[in-house]
Amino acid sequence: MTDGPLIVQSDKTLLLEVGHDRADECRKAIAPFAELERAPEHVHTYRITPLALWNARAAGHDAEQVVDALIGYSRYPVPHALLVDIAETMARYGRLRLEKDPVHGLVLTSTDRAVLEEVLRSKKIQPLLGERLGADAVAVHPSERGNIKQYLLKLGWPAEDLAGYVDGEHHPITLTEDGWELRTYQREAAEAFWHGGSGVVVLPCGAGKTIVGAAAMAHAKATTLILVTNTVSAHQWKQELIKRTSLTEEEIGEYTGTKKEIRPVTIATYQVMTTRRQGVYRHLELFDARDWGLVVYDEVHLLPAPIFRMTADLQARRRVGLTATLVREDGREGDVFSLIGPKRYDAPWKEMENQGWIAPADCVEVRVTLTDDERLAYAMAESEERYRFCATTPSKSRVTEALVRRHLDEQVLVIGQYIDQLDELGEHLNAPVIKGETKVKERERLFQAFRDKEIQVLVVSKVANFSIDLPEAAVAIQVSGTFGSRQEEAQRLGRVLRPKADGGGARFYSVVSRDTVDQDFAAHRQRFLAEQGYAYQIIDADDVLAGE
Amino acid sequence: MSTEFTEWLRGRSDDQLRALVAVRPELITPVPAHLEGLATRAGSPSAIGRVLDRLDLFTLSVIETLAVLPSPVAHRTLRAQMARALRGAADPAFQGALRETVERLRTLALVYGPDKALAPAPGVREVLETPAGLGPPAVEVFRHHPAERLAELAEDIGGDGDGTKETLARLLGDPEIVGRLIQDVSPQARSALNELAWGPASGRVPNARREVRTADAQSPIEELLSRALLGATGEETVVLPREVALALRGGRIHRDLSPVPPALDGAVRDQGLADRTAAGQAFAFTRAVEELCERWSVDPPGVLRSGGLAVRDLKRTSVLLDLPEWVTGLVAEVAHAAGLVAASGAVDGEWLPTPAYDGWRVKGTEDRWTVLATTWLTMDRVPGVIGERDERDRLLNALHPDLRRSAAAEVRTATLGMLAVAGPGLAPTLESVRERLAWEQPRRRGGHRDQLVEFTLREAEQIGVTGLGAVVDHGRALLPGCDRTMSAGRLLAPLLPEPLDHVLLQADLTAVAPGPLTSDLRRWLALAAEVESTGGATVYRFDERSIRRALDAGQSADEMLAMLERHSTTPVPQPLGYLVTDVARRHGRMRVGTASAYVRCDDPSLLDEVMADRRALPLRLRRLAPTVIASKTSRPTLVDSLRAMGYAPASESLDGDVIITQLDVRRTDGQPLVRSSATFNGLEADVVAAAVRAVRAGDAAHRARRAPVEAPAGQVPRSPATATIVALREAIRQGSQVWIGYLDSQGNATSRILEPARMEGGYLTAYDETRAAVHRFALHRITGIADIN
Repeated sequence: MTDGPLIVQSDKTLLLEVGHDRADECRKAIAPFAELERAPEHVHTYRITPLALWNARAAGHDAEQVVDALIGYSRYPVPHALLVDIAETMARYGRLRLEKDPVHGLVLTSTDRAVLEEVLRSKKIQPLLGERLGADAVAVHPSERGNIKQYLLKLGWPAEDLAGYVDGEHHPITLTEDGWELRTYQREAAEAFWHGGSGVVVLPCGAGKTIVGAAAMAHAKATTLILVTNTVSAHQWKQELIKRTSLTEEEIGEYTGTKKEIRPVTIATYQVMTTRRQGVYRHLELFDARDWGLVVYDEVHLLPAPIFRMTADLQARRRVGLTATLVREDGREGDVFSLIGPKRYDAPWKEMENQGWIAPADCVEVRVTLTDDERLAYAMAESEERYRFCATTPSKSRVTEALVRRHLDEQVLVIGQYIDQLDELGEHLNAPVIKGETKVKERERLFQAFRDKEIQVLVVSKVANFSIDLPEAAVAIQVSGTFGSRQEEAQRLGRVLRPKADGGGARFYSVVSRDTVDQDFAAHRQRFLAEQGYAYQIIDADDVLAGE
Repeated sequence: MSTEFTEWLRGRSDDQLRALVAVRPELITPVPAHLEGLATRAGSPSAIGRVLDRLDLFTLSVIETLAVLPSPVAHRTLRAQMARALRGAADPAFQGALRETVERLRTLALVYGPDKALAPAPGVREVLETPAGLGPPAVEVFRHHPAERLAELAEDIGGDGDGTKETLARLLGDPEIVGRLIQDVSPQARSALNELAWGPASGRVPNARREVRTADAQSPIEELLSRALLGATGEETVVLPREVALALRGGRIHRDLSPVPPALDGAVRDQGLADRTAAGQAFAFTRAVEELCERWSVDPPGVLRSGGLAVRDLKRTSVLLDLPEWVTGLVAEVAHAAGLVAASGAVDGEWLPTPAYDGWRVKGTEDRWTVLATTWLTMDRVPGVIGERDERDRLLNALHPDLRRSAAAEVRTATLGMLAVAGPGLAPTLESVRERLAWEQPRRRGGHRDQLVEFTLREAEQIGVTGLGAVVDHGRALLPGCDRTMSAGRLLAPLLPEPLDHVLLQADLTAVAPGPLTSDLRRWLALAAEVESTGGATVYRFDERSIRRALDAGQSADEMLAMLERHSTTPVPQPLGYLVTDVARRHGRMRVGTASAYVRCDDPSLLDEVMADRRALPLRLRRLAPTVIASKTSRPTLVDSLRAMGYAPASESLDGDVIITQLDVRRTDGQPLVRSSATFNGLEADVVAAAVRAVRAGDAAHRARRAPVEAPAGQVPRSPATATIVALREAIRQGSQVWIGYLDSQGNATSRILEPARMEGGYLTAYDETRAAVHRFALHRITGIADIN
């Protein structure tokens, strides 16, 4: 019996005891091939999935390393069947390769004829293929490079894409590191991407993903198309790029609902790209407008389905995806793998926090007991109205106001789902409200005022979920959410996790109505946060109110 | 029965006889009366079949050679014959091996006679129907051919046609003649002969009894038939006469023989790692059996009408246990064979744990494992065939009575025994194991044995008898004939993880047990939390439902918190404490009274009706509210009574679910459908010695009886009674023989020679040499006594 920090479970999860002396080295050894699933205080859970194993293969690890790591760190004997399974799964990657042939263009080759025969029989694959070039190779229509990778992954034979990339139109871009410098992990992430060709970089919110993007562009030194979630985010990308790189305002174009600029570096929103008129995507020409050398996808986990389809046609261009999490609510992790590329770099939140790059956060769930009247009304509400009702009760508003008063001298962000509730809260707290209808200019003015501490309390709707930068929000109060979405939780938490000037901690409140569906949704969020390793506690609203 | 063989057997020393019956215990069950009986039994087809089945390929080849060669065979001749069959050149070890093998065959009484005249024991030739794949001799093949046909054949192959099969056989026995005949036939005919040469020696052709002459032969078969190179033994069967086959084999009887078994090959594992892996697997398997019994205690699957477990139930169980279906089948079968699970009754039975399970459950893991592993090794059931179809195309379910295979235990022992003597850490491939088994037990081959070998290897790995494919110490200790200084359990124990009495509690409401837990803590956690993943560790998750379940089971919030605190190495996370108190707060709110049962109905008038019913009086009902009646009787009684009164009540739990919360943990007394075929571990030495002694004594008596001694002529001189008694007593003391005169019951004066044994109560018990039997003689009728000389 060895005394390793790792326990291998029969469902292919790995439990890592954090307090163990060898936990750190073990984490480094298993991170390449296992996805961190949960990271609560004592025992972290990793999961070995086929995608994770293939990611490891793509990063140059072989089955032997994986098996050695498991056996070397495992406290108990590792089931032989599991090891065999790992070796078999890993061996599936790279049996098929997409390569560039000087005569035939894109070619699918195989080191294992039986595998090639198997996939050739698939009805979905057949139309993507051209002429058979001998026993071990078959031509692929160049336009189907993305599709074939998607289908091959579904068949369980992910292809290694060695067909290379077009260089694109050259454009000089360098980082200007004046008064700041690239953090170690940012440099590593950018380099890992560049060596891999294409792929995804996983970094927590607030870890400076934009800068990784900039660093990737500095590697590519080519015209770049950046796809972001929304207009505010587009503006921020632009400002960051001007600040961090040699690019000037004239070199960066915005392609949004209002502006349609195409410049050497162009920032487009997902929304405008997926706008359809009469069933036709109007803005597809953007992809062909220039000879892009690099495509950057911000928030890959939100990438909408049409963008996937468009990306399938862009396989010859280098692609980098930036995200805080590979978990997608729609389960399309496989598409990210085959179309954007394998994971090239990741670092868990908690590690970043320990290194001081992101602020530690305290998560507090405040349970509000509804009044008898409210309870009766809740019990009688239609089922589809129930959540809205319990999420917006007056009791909740009272508690929220009390919480804001607790943090009078701090920057407080109140986040919610329902506009009525937010308007009411804004009125009571005498704070501005940012919602969907707020003009972009006005939004930016308010954000700037919040940053400058002219405003201390800001009430925001879900429009603020993505890619806005609120450096000094020390406290976030969530009053209602979208039914316990894990990904939304990650975003909201991201709002308050940016490093503070004073190095102080952040606080994240969720106000929850007791004994209602709100509490059930909150349980999901609680689990997510606790699994991310945040201190989590539950208090009664009465304690908050009594504390006044 | 050949007297030669009997005499040879008689001439064996006691030690040699003891060695014989020790390896062939069937010869002394029951103990035969005399050596002739022993010889007869040793020559019976079943006894010979049994012992031949145990011979390895080389030993079998020796006896086959002896059976083929005309007896007796000089050792030198045997050696020359065997040497031709060797794979490589005869190495010096071969001679020694052959000598040892012959000695072993003598010990087994399969071969007898001195080195210059060895012969197979009587009966061996008959049992070896086709020794070395050879067909019957020509005399047999052509036995039923008419004389004229025999004459024709003899003529065609260039002999004189006197029409006897012996003549034909003599002709075919001459390799030169056969060689010439083979040269004469067409290449197609020659290749047909070569097909049959190394066996099987018979083939099928239509219209086999064709009477063709060489000159008229049309086809290759006719060429062969006309030359007596093939003989018809049936309407559609032809057979290659042994003499012809031997000529084709170039005087060899076997080919590619080797006196040493083929080596096992495979990967070599680190023995320490293999031990740990096997221990981990042993732990997991034991746990799986326990888990299965626990699950079936509360929710037993039904017994199919044909016996066995429904496919659906097996699937369900395998999901519950998180194991592949074949492993679940194995777990269920072993649990059943170990008597831990059985069917509760013939009609509408259920598969339930037995009372033996409760005894097993409280033992240490290593002892529990030993029980399971031993059961597996010796059981005659084959879990591997679950899901296959039998010869009548019926699905074989788990726990089905037809899952028995008599060879199962023997194949398991043989396979593992082979692994056990392989080098340390060697994980032989399936192929090499099969090859080795084919060498060691050449007479026991066949598809289903190959399958059993495969099952054995994968099941051994699953149970933890092997680790990474190599036999481990605790597995080896189970095998018969291995070093048993340490029991399997004691070898396994140090490899098993120590049971822990603590868990790691986390804010995401999980508890991680980083190893096996003490059984108290495990039970408590199973009650208060859901198991999320198992393996080396167990991950439990607390949620509202699991906490409520614990509260339902009578735990209070304070008790639960105290339990958590006691068994956690870190402080109890605030959200977990909050959850427990929060659920307990609400749980308490729902509790309304202590009535043992209640009737709830939305329609008050229906309850009015029940209250008014006279038959409801013994139920002691009380109306709590217009829609609720409480009762002092138990819920089942209440439900039954209400049903008897014509209502249709449904049971409901405290939570209002229509479920029975108080699940009965049940047991059955049913017997397992299994017979443990005890592997033969050799007879005790004293049993063997006693048996030999008894046979010897019986034999001495038997032989004496065969030759009754003639009493001397003339009358025995009369002697006084006192002198008679003194003389008899003296004879008993010295064990000598006396000559007496005796009046038999008819009053005739007879003369006997006796070997007196005992004298008491006026009678003499003595062996009567003249009658060759033990008799009692009345002292007063003895007329006189004299010295035999």
